[in-house]
Amino acid sequence: MINSSILLSITTFAYLFCAVFYLAGVVFRHNPLLRVGSLVGLGTLGIQTAGIVLRWVESYQIGYGHAPLSNLYESLVFAAWAIMLIYLVLEHRSKHRVLGIFPALFAFLAMAYASFSTQVDSRIQPLVPALKSNWLIAHVIACFLGYAGFAVATGISILYLVRKSRAANPHPRGILAALPEPRQLDELNYQMVLFGFLWLSIGIITGSVWANSAWGTYWSWDPKETWSLITWLVYAALLHARSMQGWRGRRVAWLSLLGFGCVLFTYFGVNFLLSGLHSYATK
Amino acid sequence: MPGMGPAFFRGNPGPDDPPNRREDGALLFLRLVKATYKRLRMDGFFSRSDRAERALPGREAATREPFKEESLMQQKNSAWRTFYEALASVKLSVFLFLLLAVCSILGTLLPQGLSVEELQHRYKPSVVWWMETLSLHDLYHSGWFQILLVLLCVNLLVCSIQRFPKTLKLLQTRDDPVDPAKLLKFGSSFEITTRLPWREAQARLEGIIPGELAPLRLAPGKNGFAAVAEKGRWSPLMVYGVHFSVLLILSGALIGSFFGFKGMMNIPEGQLSDEVLLYQRRQSLLLPFQVRCDDFDVSLYDTGAPKEYRSDLVILDEGKEALRQTIRVNDPLTYRGVTFYQASYGLILKSADVELTDKETGKTYTLSLPYREMVRIPGTQDQIEAIQFQQNFSRFGPAVGIVLLREGQTEPMGSWILVKMPEFHGNRVQNYQVKITKTEEGYYTGLQVKQDPGVWIVYAGFILLLAGIGITFYTRHRKLWIWADAGGPESSPVRIVVAGRTNKNAVTFEEEFKHLCGRLQLELATGSGDEGTKR
Repeated sequence: MINSSILLSITTFAYLFCAVFYLAGVVFRHNPLLRVGSLVGLGTLGIQTAGIVLRWVESYQIGYGHAPLSNLYESLVFAAWAIMLIYLVLEHRSKHRVLGIFPALFAFLAMAYASFSTQVDSRIQPLVPALKSNWLIAHVIACFLGYAGFAVATGISILYLVRKSRAANPHPRGILAALPEPRQLDELNYQMVLFGFLWLSIGIITGSVWANSAWGTYWSWDPKETWSLITWLVYAALLHARSMQGWRGRRVAWLSLLGFGCVLFTYFGVNFLLSGLHSYATK
Repeated sequence: MPGMGPAFFRGNPGPDDPPNRREDGALLFLRLVKATYKRLRMDGFFSRSDRAERALPGREAATREPFKEESLMQQKNSAWRTFYEALASVKLSVFLFLLLAVCSILGTLLPQGLSVEELQHRYKPSVVWWMETLSLHDLYHSGWFQILLVLLCVNLLVCSIQRFPKTLKLLQTRDDPVDPAKLLKFGSSFEITTRLPWREAQARLEGIIPGELAPLRLAPGKNGFAAVAEKGRWSPLMVYGVHFSVLLILSGALIGSFFGFKGMMNIPEGQLSDEVLLYQRRQSLLLPFQVRCDDFDVSLYDTGAPKEYRSDLVILDEGKEALRQTIRVNDPLTYRGVTFYQASYGLILKSADVELTDKETGKTYTLSLPYREMVRIPGTQDQIEAIQFQQNFSRFGPAVGIVLLREGQTEPMGSWILVKMPEFHGNRVQNYQVKITKTEEGYYTGLQVKQDPGVWIVYAGFILLLAGIGITFYTRHRKLWIWADAGGPESSPVRIVVAGRTNKNAVTFEEEFKHLCGRLQLELATGSGDEGTKR
């Protein structure tokens, strides 16, 4: 009998294979390997989609009946899904398969953490009263599309910094030669950051409207809120810094990494280290 | 959910949070800030000159005149100018974004919303002094944090005011003067000559460009034409929409804090109230109508986790029932601009049955005391009242606060009576030994009450913000300039110069431009001796 947990376990390992294929494709500079990586990624995304839908159905069978976006486990699964979805669309458009190393790796890590960590409870749980709202789906989807956009941008920024590490050599050999031009990486980074910024803004705003309709305050400086604002400010700084000379390129790449650090703290750090409105997310 | 009792979603750092970790975090954080500052200073981030800004289309750096120190007047002017330019710089925006981020981080590391007593309990006096002076315990509402926000608004406003006319002018120019020599200096430009007849060349050109970008706007010349084709003209303007939306959101918040209120109301089942305890000023406010709670109910899942909190509320306006509605978490009630949210609940005493033994006479009385109602002890002039209830009094279980007003007394005197320990010798009020035989408890519902006239301005800002960022992401401004010379009847060929520019995604645009050049070359350069040069 196929159930969601089997499908999501398959997904975890398949993303590992996907990341290995991408990495091997870059290391050996062998395009067919990269193509296999893309295909594995696409197939896995399909399996994962089926797994998420099945989990949704199962929650109705149990009698709880809610979208699979309600706790840490489900959000990690959705994060992996969103990263791969956004990456594959980017790959389709930019035709740069080497960018897949980090998104596939991030997707695998998210799934592995969700599946193997003892901190993460993978059971389907009922919704607490505070989460019973149609805003839940919009808010969580928007936030995680934003986070996923930033994750893909981070991967691109790392590649940019690697590519630029031998700046003196305009025609690099070896692995570096497989990477796109720094200019292209910088632009792709900018596009992904702007995409993430758009969705993070939607996420913050839906959360804000939801809070206002549930509790009567659209902003209460709760740690999660504050950290999402910090993330937003760092990426806003990045978007503006690009118009200052000398900032495009390496410094923007570093800001992108800093921004993703804030994303990770907003996601995990706030849950485990600070208390607040989003405490149900730790379970 | 540990620590998430009746007040099930209002989260302040609990008293159990170890303060040391936070202090260490703050220290580490300060060190980080210092290191970053040093690094940025080394990089010349704080230096005055702002030549760094790129000259992008629609965002040209202001031209600066060199300093002249001829008269005091001019000096004053130039000082003002320097100040204005500092306010209008993108560098200041980036700096403010990062500074606001850093300060916000500080606010999440230090516990917020503590009273002075709690601060003194937790920290050394010197630390408390710093925290109070800088309002670090209420950082987001402190004056200096709000000054930073105002500074950001000013920066945003000045930036927009300085750049908006230029952007507008750039977009309004419908008939750009097209000079082939200038066009060839563009980053993306292309020149081609063809021996095709002029009419044929023109027709092909007019067939290709609209397919690649947009229809041509022709300006016929003496011998040939100049033309412009562009798409996404509104894209560069969206930035101003986003900036304006931020101002809207912040002004909406300001209006809400001036003309609105936010508070709590605890109403026992079956009772009514019109008094709201305000959060900020520690005073209360009387509503122009009354709220009655008919019923409060908590339902649980099989697992014991809460499923739903529900209050049946009735609004009484001038004594008449105006509205009857059930509210839940996520499902509030609004009446005359005031909204009531299900925020918390608690247990309250409805009545207590007591057994009183008069120590002086030895007589025993059995009474039922409704909560907060004076009851006369039969056969005496003494009056007794249950005025307080605690579910767990100093870990001794439930306790009822009972006061007694004896004959001839002007002030009642009372004490806490422990329910679970009927033989406790302290269960005594004046001359009576009190034993509580039964308590009847009920719920009170905790309502958050607010009125915020600024919320619609904030929402309008939200919509504008999303529309602005969305359109900025999905559109871009691309523009092509075409200059064509029909050449002579026999001697000279048709000469065409094409140049292009975009406001973002330059790499993608270059690809597109290359593609366009390829097509032009293929379709125009038929016959020998023709050549195209791409720069």
